[in-house]
Amino acid sequence: MSAYQISLITLTCISVITVSGVFTMTSLAGMFSLGQAAYMSISAYLTFCLARYLNLPIWLTAIVGIVMSGIVAFIISLPSLRLRRDYFALLSVGFGGMVLAIVILLGKWTNAAVGFSKIPKVNHLVWIILGITVLIVFVVRNIKYSRFGRMCIALKTDEIAARSFGINVYGLKVKIYVVASVIAAVGGICFGLRNRVIAPDSFDWSASAEMQILLFFGGTNSLTGSVLSAASLKLLPEFLKGVSIFGMNLHDFRTTIYCILIILIINFRTKGLMGEKELSFKLIQKLAKKINRTVKKGGSK
Amino acid sequence: MDLQLLISGISLGAVYALVAVGYAVVFSVLKFSNFAHGGMISACAYMGYYFQRAFPAPPPFYVTLLFSAFAGVALSFLIDTIAYRRLRKQQSPAIYYFLASIAISILIVNLLSIFFGKNLYAFPPIFTSTTFYIGSIRFSSIDTLILFVSLAILTFLILLINRTRIGLAIRSVAINSQTSRLMGVNPDVTIMTVFAIAGALAGISGVLLAMKLSVYPTLGSQMMLKGFVASVVGGLGSLGGAIIAAIFLGVIEIYITYYLGSLSTPIVTFGLMLIFLAVRPVGVAGKFAQEKV
Repeated sequence: MSAYQISLITLTCISVITVSGVFTMTSLAGMFSLGQAAYMSISAYLTFCLARYLNLPIWLTAIVGIVMSGIVAFIISLPSLRLRRDYFALLSVGFGGMVLAIVILLGKWTNAAVGFSKIPKVNHLVWIILGITVLIVFVVRNIKYSRFGRMCIALKTDEIAARSFGINVYGLKVKIYVVASVIAAVGGICFGLRNRVIAPDSFDWSASAEMQILLFFGGTNSLTGSVLSAASLKLLPEFLKGVSIFGMNLHDFRTTIYCILIILIINFRTKGLMGEKELSFKLIQKLAKKINRTVKKGGSK
Repeated sequence: MDLQLLISGISLGAVYALVAVGYAVVFSVLKFSNFAHGGMISACAYMGYYFQRAFPAPPPFYVTLLFSAFAGVALSFLIDTIAYRRLRKQQSPAIYYFLASIAISILIVNLLSIFFGKNLYAFPPIFTSTTFYIGSIRFSSIDTLILFVSLAILTFLILLINRTRIGLAIRSVAINSQTSRLMGVNPDVTIMTVFAIAGALAGISGVLLAMKLSVYPTLGSQMMLKGFVASVVGGLGSLGGAIIAAIFLGVIEIYITYYLGSLSTPIVTFGLMLIFLAVRPVGVAGKFAQEKV
């Protein structure tokens, strides 16, 4: 594989990781956040700064970074999840701004807006990131089908009804928020390892908005859809690089295309591209049977 | 010195107030935060700038302001048609409005930076001197103008909402659009009116902000967060509360910048928002956005 192909694969994987993080929160529990990129920045900065200044191995500091993101998410969620869902979404924007302000404030260590680039090189990065991606998608899938996930879906559908069934709504929300933030934190570390430089700009609220856009494009109720749209929409700009219309390079219009796509999706196909369909072994078996039957029919004719 | 800080804070707060009122008016009726407002402000700033430059002799200030307000209304209708109308028909949950408005905001900023670049364009000055003194206190001309314009707009809006039939219709749709339909109010027309008001506000604040700062794509979305915090602290949907909170926020920000440096403002802003949402979610004066079970 060439270096370019490897960079495309890792880019896609990171996008899939972050979107599955958002999936646990938005799709399962119905919480909308524009501050998830902040958790990416917390873990990434902690991991790489600790590794640099304390000379610790990177896997150890990565664990510290992820755990710290979880703790921060827990602390933030305690007061803010008592609020209504829309207030929570509003608050997350402010939270993202605050984290980036702290990063810039600690410019002595984080190199402020210029970006922190003293990130060690890791061998076989593409396999590590691929493995993490598969693991995380598998975990999220299992969460969705577990008792915990079903409780979350009940909570999303109707909070009061869920409470009347004996679900601890507040505790569940805190848990799912911490899980989502930890997944975002893993994504942040992968992001740092891939790009070898982290700057506050890449974790601002539009980065979080992009995750939500990718999620809603694929379908909020379908993990398959979210993963597919996370991968394909992230790769789309790369294919647009060579294309130009009216003398303008389409690559410059990538964000525009995202926004137009999401507005179309929201207006005309509210449930997203995949709706509620999931890719599973059963579905594949069914499809195989169908194909088999049609082939047989064709043969008998 | 302290009085000087207070005056600067109030002037800064007036700018935030202008943005916050634009949010609050949409939130009060449609119950979603219109993130597209920031993008609209930027777009209107560009339109005002090119209108000003289109004539050999620059037109008077109020003509540009009026033009920009009308451009804002047109833009607002356009955004409503593209992004929100179908959502209203389908009675989609608030989260879709939220996402649509974010998408529109990013879209506008992106298109502006593609077509006009990220350079700063300076608005031609309208005052001969940028500051004037009363006693020993320095006033910034443009900030004072913004303060008076936003107070005038606020007075106009409060009168419009509390004293006219249109205002009554807006208030009734804000409480319940289905019931207001039974009372002979056309919710669609009312919502269009609200978007027209928001658009005009975006147009006016676009030109004023451009005069204060200069014209660049992220002009509006930078102000957006501050105006947004102000409208949260003021009570989402309450116009008076938003103005008070915006001025409060401006004063706090100036004091923090003076004593702690400008970098810590987002932290304090977030803290303020968290405290208000946790302790008093209806804000300083909020009575619209009360939770319905």
